[in-house]
Amino acid sequence: MKKTMITICLLILTAAISGCWNLKETNQLAIVIGGGLDASEDGRLEVSSQIAIPAGLGGPDTGTNKKRSFEVVSATGKNFMDAGQNLQAQLSRTLFYAHRQTILIGQRLAEQGIAGNGMLKYLDMIVRNPKSEMRSVIWIVKDGTAKDILATEPTFDPLISTTLVSVQMALGMKPYNYREFLCDSLSKGGGELLPAISILPSTKKFIYSGAAILDKEHELHLTGFLKPDESYYANWIIGRQKTLTVTSSESQSNGTISLRVMSLRKHISVNKDLHGMRVHIQLNGSGNLVENNSSLDPSSAKDLKTIQSMLSRDAEQAVVKLIHKAQEQYKVDFLGIGEIVHRKYPREWKSLKKNWNDTFIHIPITVEVHLRYKDPGQTNSSI
Amino acid sequence: MLSNERTTSQVYSDRKVSPNLKENEQTLTAIFEHCSDVVFRRLTLHDETKLLLVYVDGMIDKDLIQSSILKPLLYEGVPQGLGALDTLAQMCDQELVAALQTKRVSAFEEAVDLILKGSVAFLAEGETSLLLADVSRFETRSIEEPSTEASLRGTRESFTEQLRTNTTMLRRIIVTPDLKMESNQVGKLTKTEVVLAYIEGLATPSLVDEVRTRIKAIDIQGVLESGYIEEYIEDSSYSPFPQMTSTERADVVSAGLMEGRIAVFVNGTPIVLVVPMTFWDGLQAPDDYYERFLYVTMNRWIRYLFALFSILFPSVYIALTTYHPEMMPPKLMMSITGLREHSPFPTVIEVFMMEFMFEGLREAGIRLPQQIGPLVSIVGALVIGQAAVQAGIISAPIVIVVSAAGISSFVIPRYRFGYPLRMLRFPLLILSGLFGLFGVAIGLIMILSHLIQLNPLGTPYLEPLAPTRNSKLKNIFLRRPRKRMS
Repeated sequence: MKKTMITICLLILTAAISGCWNLKETNQLAIVIGGGLDASEDGRLEVSSQIAIPAGLGGPDTGTNKKRSFEVVSATGKNFMDAGQNLQAQLSRTLFYAHRQTILIGQRLAEQGIAGNGMLKYLDMIVRNPKSEMRSVIWIVKDGTAKDILATEPTFDPLISTTLVSVQMALGMKPYNYREFLCDSLSKGGGELLPAISILPSTKKFIYSGAAILDKEHELHLTGFLKPDESYYANWIIGRQKTLTVTSSESQSNGTISLRVMSLRKHISVNKDLHGMRVHIQLNGSGNLVENNSSLDPSSAKDLKTIQSMLSRDAEQAVVKLIHKAQEQYKVDFLGIGEIVHRKYPREWKSLKKNWNDTFIHIPITVEVHLRYKDPGQTNSSI
Repeated sequence: MLSNERTTSQVYSDRKVSPNLKENEQTLTAIFEHCSDVVFRRLTLHDETKLLLVYVDGMIDKDLIQSSILKPLLYEGVPQGLGALDTLAQMCDQELVAALQTKRVSAFEEAVDLILKGSVAFLAEGETSLLLADVSRFETRSIEEPSTEASLRGTRESFTEQLRTNTTMLRRIIVTPDLKMESNQVGKLTKTEVVLAYIEGLATPSLVDEVRTRIKAIDIQGVLESGYIEEYIEDSSYSPFPQMTSTERADVVSAGLMEGRIAVFVNGTPIVLVVPMTFWDGLQAPDDYYERFLYVTMNRWIRYLFALFSILFPSVYIALTTYHPEMMPPKLMMSITGLREHSPFPTVIEVFMMEFMFEGLREAGIRLPQQIGPLVSIVGALVIGQAAVQAGIISAPIVIVVSAAGISSFVIPRYRFGYPLRMLRFPLLILSGLFGLFGVAIGLIMILSHLIQLNPLGTPYLEPLAPTRNSKLKNIFLRRPRKRMS
């Protein structure tokens, strides 16, 4: 008994005396809630961190003398951690990356990279560093820098970084975080889509501004942006969209009809014959009619058929336009066709993957969209 | 305590009863020297027969003695004349003393014992034995509601200090001659009656033998509470966990007996021991078997969760906030950090301080006289809770953590089963303060391995979980409907 007690005491003492005590109170940490990567004017990497100020966030509301809830600090450096060290020089508390909710990448960095290298290089730290959070959502800043976005104050949350996590969900998309982005971007060939954000100059608030197209064959260089409308269809094709509202105009009475599509399904088939490869994209969706300003009456079978085909046709046109954009304008396969080819023809893919985008732009792609209604809504014809 | 020299009363107690009444009286007076409560009453019948009554004042039924012994003897004399009887004592025994239990004794030692327990001794001239009649009657507490084991449903009777009252309660519930009650006397000075109760055919004979042997082997000056006996019967004295149920409810004892357990009644205490006990008994309340099963199953789970919560919450809080802040949700971490911003002490020290304060308040709450009891809660809630937080000495989350953990330990129905959980919190606090979650894991493994090797009176403490008995296991996690209970 005595021996055991002495042994236990000694064991505890060794831990305390040898200094192997990595206890750290939370108020000794500078909690990085959002991170931003930019290319500075002189072409160096600039890392910005949104540091949460807990005293301004939690704690009792003292009313008038409410403290600031965050601080944005930035520093340049050779790479992420080097900049991080320069960042630390401005702070009295240790940087703590594990709660980073959002990673923002400025347009300039995404387009030009640093010293000819694309942004792919700088993503290593996020996965390698054990203290880093992998579930941060990742955004590209359109027409601006990450630093500016981090400094904006959103409407609901005190911090922009936590807000951006829920923006995608509010728009009917599945939240897309860094871990998934890493998985997708490590497969060779084609391109990648990331959500894009920009500052509304009038209100100094953020606004969702579509999707950024990254070219995987060129170290994830940014090749262009999709408009928000286009991004929804693109996300449908790659399976990141959960709901979508399709609106189309009816020519007879010059009215409009909106369908809130709830269950989005996609089927992409690739076939190879003597003439080469051909791709067929079939999109199915069903939902509720939520607005009807036209003369059509959803309770009559004939009109309903018209409504359905009209909505399907309009959606089909939008997708055809999107594919046209991918093949003609950006010449990047951001729709994930490459991955389907990879799965169906794994042998051929070995030779195709290096220059997949070049192959992609010549492939004939056909599109078929079927939208069905489930519920005509609370009334019959338009009131 | 006692020296090797024998006291006067012990020396005289060895004597035998002599035919000479005078001599006997001298012996008894010597034995009961300076015992002001012992009464000697001399009687002379028909100017010839001398009779001496010895009893302890206050322990006997005076009315009974007066009406059925003294009055007939003094006014009417010996009923059928002395010639018909061999001895006077025999006369008293057969004709007069209306007591159920009488005994003839020829050694002073035994007689003295019985006199002290409330018998009246009759000594007559020319006889070599005494007659002892049990006419004991003294002031006792009446049967009241259980104060430490309240329940919404079930009996309202709790045991009293009177052993006989307690065994009677049991007899009234279990009506079978198989209910055995073996009497033992423990304690040199208190000569406390200890009754071993079990149901023959249900209790394992070897277990009964073992408990009997252990009780008989007890060599102790006095027994004031069943806790004395408990320490002599239990196997692991160093374990923080109680190894037998102690209860003041007759239904809990009866349920135990019907499951084949053994109850130990001790005179002078309302607390009865039931052996052996398992870990799960500590988390079960008597109502569990009286209420509807769905509701009881939910309550059981609440208890299990809170038991775990009570032992782990403070240490896990320390580990999370100081070692693994990445494991907390960001918003929670922000609020905790925001509230901690001005705290002068490290979290570990804060938790320690508050835990000590809490245990102090709890202890004070038990000991304080009822009139100043509310004072403790006022001082505790206001000064220690609110003021300490407002003054910025203790951060608010700590108060929440400590009081939540404290309250959850009171969810445990057996009060004393909460003791080990509260006590083991402290080593876990040290471990988590030193090693984080790793330390908590080490501490838990140590507690679990102790629980697994604990084997009081041959019953594994964690049975039926470890060793696993599938048929009984269901009854631990669910209280199944009675029709389906095995």
